[in-house]
Formats: sequence, structure tokens, C-alpha cells
Amino acid sequence: MPDSGIALLSFREDILLNRFQNLIRRIGWAVLTIAFVIVLNFFLFRILPGDPARAGVHDPRLKKDAVEAIRVRFGLDKPVINCFDSLNPVKFGNCGVNPLETQFFIYVRNLFIGEMGFSYHTNRPVTEILAERLWNTVLLIGAGQILSVIIGVVFGIAAAWKARTNIDYGALTVSLLVWSLPTFWLGIILLFWGSANGFPIGGKATPGMSSMPLSVRWGDIAEHMILPTITYTLVYMGEYMLIMRSSLLDVLSEDYILTAKAKGLSTFQILRDHALKNAMLPLVTVIAINLGFTVAGAIQIESVFSWPGLGLSIFEAVNRRDFPVLQGAFLLIAVAVIAANLIADLTYTYLDPRVKME
Amino acid sequence: MKTKILYIFALVALALSACGGGTPAGGQNPSQEGSGETPAIVRVGWAGSPDTLNPGMAVLSESYTIFELVYDSMYELNMDGTFTLTLAESAAVSDDGLVWTFKIRDGVAFHDGQPLTAKDVVFSYNLYQSTEDYPWMGGYTSYFESIEATDANEVVITLSEAIPNIESQLVFLYVLPEHVWGSEDAVEFDNVSMIGSGPFKMVEYAQNEFVQLAANKDHFFSPPKVDEVIFQTFENNDALVQAIKTGQVDMITEMPATAVETLKTEDAVEVFVGAPLAPTVTDIIFNQVLPENCPEGDGVCTGHPALLDRNFRLALAHATDKQKIIDIIYLGNASPGLTLIPDGLGVWYNDSLADYEFDLAKAAQILDDNGYVDADGDGVRDMPDGSRSLTLRVNWPSDSVDGPRLAELLSEMWGELGIKTELQSMDPDALTAVCCPAFDFDVMLWGWGSDPDPNLLLSVMTSAEIPTGSSETGYSNAEYDELYGQQAVEANFEKRQELVWKMQEIVHNDVVYIIPYYDPNIQAYRSDRFTGWITGEAKLEFSDPSSLTLIEPVK
Repeated sequence: MPDSGIALLSFREDILLNRFQNLIRRIGWAVLTIAFVIVLNFFLFRILPGDPARAGVHDPRLKKDAVEAIRVRFGLDKPVINCFDSLNPVKFGNCGVNPLETQFFIYVRNLFIGEMGFSYHTNRPVTEILAERLWNTVLLIGAGQILSVIIGVVFGIAAAWKARTNIDYGALTVSLLVWSLPTFWLGIILLFWGSANGFPIGGKATPGMSSMPLSVRWGDIAEHMILPTITYTLVYMGEYMLIMRSSLLDVLSEDYILTAKAKGLSTFQILRDHALKNAMLPLVTVIAINLGFTVAGAIQIESVFSWPGLGLSIFEAVNRRDFPVLQGAFLLIAVAVIAANLIADLTYTYLDPRVKME
Repeated sequence: MKTKILYIFALVALALSACGGGTPAGGQNPSQEGSGETPAIVRVGWAGSPDTLNPGMAVLSESYTIFELVYDSMYELNMDGTFTLTLAESAAVSDDGLVWTFKIRDGVAFHDGQPLTAKDVVFSYNLYQSTEDYPWMGGYTSYFESIEATDANEVVITLSEAIPNIESQLVFLYVLPEHVWGSEDAVEFDNVSMIGSGPFKMVEYAQNEFVQLAANKDHFFSPPKVDEVIFQTFENNDALVQAIKTGQVDMITEMPATAVETLKTEDAVEVFVGAPLAPTVTDIIFNQVLPENCPEGDGVCTGHPALLDRNFRLALAHATDKQKIIDIIYLGNASPGLTLIPDGLGVWYNDSLADYEFDLAKAAQILDDNGYVDADGDGVRDMPDGSRSLTLRVNWPSDSVDGPRLAELLSEMWGELGIKTELQSMDPDALTAVCCPAFDFDVMLWGWGSDPDPNLLLSVMTSAEIPTGSSETGYSNAEYDELYGQQAVEANFEKRQELVWKMQEIVHNDVVYIIPYYDPNIQAYRSDRFTGWITGEAKLEFSDPSSLTLIEPVK
């Protein structure tokens, strides 16, 4: 008997050790992926057509000296990497360049000290622009995600529990409908409707309110959030509802639910104690992955409602070919998606012990 | 069943409206209740935002709109294209035209209370001239040999050669406070606090969101009657139009032509179309560089040989229905183009020229008479010697909104004449590469922005600009070059005007370009909010100080 006790203990240690190793391995992979993105991101924007020095000033007829001055200011006069002066068009240069003097090295070194260069368009540091915009996006997406998850889950549960009734059909129809609506179209429709009903339709606050008390300003921001948040919620709640419904239907067909019913538990008890925990699992993954992607996915909503978030930054940067801002935004999105995936992985194994980390 | 589905819809609606935020609907502007006590705030909607508030680094017109309001310069550009002395009370020029003496007004102060003196002017002009990283300033200061402050109120500018247009050189050289800029890096300084001396002062700036300006009621020249002006950025045109319809803004500086008709039906909205303050020209460019003018080294010169023939270009001009182009692209809201000098330049625009009327039969006759007939019967006309068919490559920059439509229309119109076109949009940089000085194209659709002075646009068509890449046509005419040299030093206004008009006549006769239209400015204001906007002049710009310092609230 004592033997088995020791065996049990070492078995537990094994699991813990195993978990720890796996955690390290997953984080290692995430870091590797990010490193790959960093390299890809650099070369991607140097292969793209268009001379960035010209893109910044947006007049192809600028005099040659001025263009050269801009190139020097943004470090574009340096070779891209050893042997290559330019990737678009490919221009071979000197292979004996000091590697520390190449654009690639400077880019990587700057990233490590948290610098992403300067915007061609506004001449401001990219980190400053992105940091300022990121919070606006987090605010909008945070509100939209919470609402769409709540509404999606509630309707998903109702639809699954009342499967093949009119409630189910109604919820299904609504979900499929809103899920398939084009985001910008829905946004424009709401913009027309909202502006006719007195909702603000542009920006995150009424300009010129900075001297007002904080509560008034927050109220003003909340008012500006209404239309974009409704758009976001409508677009995403359909997806959550559909996943919740089908996942819960799966669980409800399990034998142990039948057992629970046989024990005489109420509907509420069955849902809360037996069905929902299991049914939530697929949703967690989708939400986590969506969170990563929606940093970029808000481009349409933000540009319809002039919401000064990250998506709008991307939209503006594409229009103006502001490559440093795009490069920074892409990196940020890539890191967000990778991080969200990692978190989803880790949460999943925690929530569902059946899924072992392999 | 029906009721249940409705019930679900109602639930969704209810859930959404409940979650929409704790504030009541109906977010009206605080300024909307226009009682006597509340400040008069003008809300302007626009689709852009300044790129930077550093006057040396700025490129976008939105930046210049703000500079015009916050800074002063020696002259102010009027809506009819003339200039008025503002910061200086007098300007005198030496007999040889090289030395200009400006007397700065007494008692002009910056927004922080410091006086504006001749030293600030000299400092600013030197800064613009000496900072190589300033992309545009070099052009405005290139004739300055020296700038000196002879006393607190007197600035003496010595030029390297006599020029007829000192006003247009100085109008965008904003006077900056030396006590602020003296200690800053001329390129890196973001200038968000923006201390100027103009009719409005900076209150708050959030890039791509808004610019808030307060009136400088002590301004020496044009103190505003309103209290504040706020520029708000709307990233899409529908929102912009909707904002003025619903009164969220009082004026909009731009709108799509498609919105004009709907907005005109609104009772409280007045829509105006006019030439922009800084006019732009859309041009149909013919590659007509002669083999002997093909730039050495850079030149590829693959233009269609027919384009070298004035008669062929003339036939194309007769086959181009400008009114139809305007009706389709601008829904009628633009004026037909004539020469590269746009009507927005006012007195410099030669309106005495008669345009080539749209007449397909005449165009066909010209081609027939000159031997451009369809020799091989494939439906496309050929060169008189039968060596090549009349197939033209037509290119335009891919970031142009009107480019594709203009190209399609030309293809259709010229197609009826038996001229084939191959349409392709190109990345602006790729287009620059084939354009000039390579001359590796047939026809291009592009445009020019213009100074208030015609000098820049006139220079584009001189032979000297063929190798530099500024000349897109490769046009070369000794008489024109001669006249260009004369007008560039002619100090007498009437004589210079005569020269400038003559030059336009020459290039019009030679059909160097076809100018389909002059890009219009379409703006609107709410008539129930402010009154006194400047309309009916050659130029239209409600966000210019000329309007914003004049308007007052509707009683």
C-alpha cells in the first residue's frame, strides 16, 4: 500500500514537470514565430512597389535634392542588408558593408529598444502613434466583445435548449443574417440612422471638451461609442451564438445529461452544473483568437465612424503609403494574434484536462 | 410563429439599446443652443487632417489651412487672386528690382504676448532657406541672397535676380517666433503648441481627430467675430455629408460631387462650387518629345510617332467631349479646361481663347486629310505610311479617383474616331519612372497643383525642363521659351500679363495638352448658424481667414 502512495506522488510530479516543460515549449514557439514575423515584416515592406521616400511627400515631381534629403533622414540611403542596396528593384551593392550599418540591423536593434522608426507622413515616432491609437481600439473592441459574447451566449443557450422550436429558428435566422452582413454596409446604414436620431457619427469625443469635468467627457465618449459598438456587436454576436448553440446541442445529447434529467434536476441546474461548462470550451478558443484578429478587424468600423483606433491608423497608412506605421501595426497585430493563440492554448488545457499538452 | 420571431427581434433590439451606454440619446453639440451667452463656435468638418504643424515639413493643404489661420505672413492671398500687405504696412523696391524693403507694423504680438519684430521675420526666412530637409521651402526662398533686419521694424531682402512675383514667394513664408523656434530642431520640432500671431490661436490639437482654435480678438488686421473654430476629421464622405445635414457641423470643406444634389435640397444648407485657393489642373498629356530632344541617359522616348503631329493632336482635341466628361465625373460641377493655367489663377488665366469644339466629323476629316486612314481594314486607323496602327497606351496613377473614368471616356470617344487605346493604371512611382525624363509612354492622365503665381506651371512647358523631368510632354518651342524668360523678370503687371496670356495662346494653338476640366472646390455651410461667408469670387475657400474672420452667428 505505501508503495502505491509514492507512485501516485511521483506521477503527480511527472504531470507538473510535464506541464512546465510544455509551457516553456509553447512560449518558445511563440517567440520563434514572432522572430519570424519581425524578419518577414522587414522584407515585406522593402519588396513592395513604390519608393518610400516619394510616398512620404506624395508628389512624384519633387526635386531630386529634396528626395535625397528625405531618404537620408529616414535612413533609406543605407544598404538594406549586406550586398543589397535595395530590394525593389533589386539593386546589388557592396558586400563588404559593416553589417551594423545596414537597415536590417538598425531595424532589429531599434525594435529591441522599443522604437519602430518615424512615420513618413507625420514625422512622428510610430510607437507614439500606435500607443495612442491602441487604447481607443481596446476600448471599442472590449465593449463590443463583451456585449457580443453575452448576447451570443444567451441566445445560443436559448436556441439550443429550445432546439427546433420557433425560438431556435428565430435566433438562427437573426444570427445568420447579422453574421453575413458586410461590416462597412451595416456601419453606413447605422450611421445614416444614427445621425438622423442625434447620435454623434464621427470621432471618439466632441472636440473642444477638454476643459469639461471628467464625468461629462466620459459620457461624451460613451455617446460616441454607441454606433460603432452596436455595429461591432451585431457583426460578432451571430458567430458566437451559432457556436454556442451547436456546442451546447452536442453536450445536451450526452448520456450524463439524460442522467441529470432522470435525477430530477431543474433545467437551470442542468445547464449551469452539467452542460454549460463543457459547451463553453469551443467558444473560449474562438473568442481568444478573435480578440487577436479584431485588432485589425476593426478597420472597417473605425473608418466608417472615424474612430481614432489602430484600424483607422492602418487605413490611413495604406492610403498614404506610410510604410513605417504599417510595419509597426502589422507587427503589433502579429504579436496580438500569437499571444491570443498562446493564451487560448493554455486556457484550454486548464479548462479541459482531457486535452493534454503534447 | 410570426409573433415569436418578432419577439426575438425585439429582444435583440432591446438588448442592444440597453447596452448602448448610460447616456441619453440625442448627443447634440454643446454649442447648438445658441443663446447670447454661449460662445460662438464654428464647427468645420473635413476629410483630412494636418500631416504636421511644422510649416517647413508640411505637405498637405489641411496643414496650410491651419497655418493661414494661426500665422501671419507678409502678404495675404485674396479670393480674386490678388495680394494684400498684412504684416508689413509698406513694401518698397529698388529701381533694379533687387532690393525689397518691408516696414513691419507696430505693436504686432505673438499669442504668448511677445512682440513680433523684424528679427522674427529674418529668423523665419533664414530658417526656411537654410533647412535642406524642408521639401517645399527651397522653391520659395531660392531668389533670396540676403535677409536683414535694419531696425526693429524694417526687413530688407536682397534678391539674386529681379522677379515679378515677390508676393507669391512670401505668402507661404509664415513668420515664426524666434524665442520659440530658436532653441528647437527645425526638422524634428512638432510645434503642437503653435505660437503664432494670426487671427486664431491654437487651443488643442489631436492628430486625425480635431484642431481647436480660439479667436485672437486683438489681431491687428482681421480680428474674428466668432469665438472658436473647431476642425473635425470625418474619415468617410458619407459621414461628412450626414454631419452637415444633421447640424453636427456648420461647414464642410469638401464633398463628393454625388452629394451636391441631395445637399442642395436641404433648406438650411448652402452648397457652392468654385476654384480652390490652390488650384489643381487635370491634364491629358501627349508625349511629343522630338528624337533630337530625347534626354541623354534617362530618355527612352517610345512615344507614338503620330503624337508628334499637331494635326493628330488637334483631331484628338476635337474628339474630346469635355462637357460629357464633366457631367459624368463631376455631375456637371466643374468648369471646362482650356490651358495649363487654370481659371483659379484669376488675372493670369487667358479667358479670351476659343476652345476646340467637340466635333467628331471635323476630327475625322482632319485625320482623313492628313492620311491617317484605316489602310488594313481592321477598324483602327493607321499611320499615313502604314507603318503602325493608331494604338495609344493610356496610363494614369493608380491612386487617382477620377483616372479610371476619364480613361474609359476617352477610350470611348477616341474609339469612335478609329483610334484604339490600351488602358492601364500604374503605381505613381512606376508612372513617374516611365513619364519623365524617360518619355516611355503615349498618353498620360495626371495633374498639377499650382502656386498662386503662373510661373511654375508655365515653366513645365519650356525646353529647359525636358531633361529635368518636370516637362511631361517634351514640348519644345523657341518662341515660348523666349517669352518665358521675359515674363520671369517683367516687373510691370500689365506687360507680364500680356506675356503670360500670349504663352497660353501658343501652347493652346500647338495642342500641347488637352485640359478636360479644372478641379473644383465644392463646399457647403449651414445658413442657420453663421452668416457672412465669402462667395462669388474667383476662388472659393470657406476655411480661409477671409471667411472665418468675417462670419458671425445668425441672430
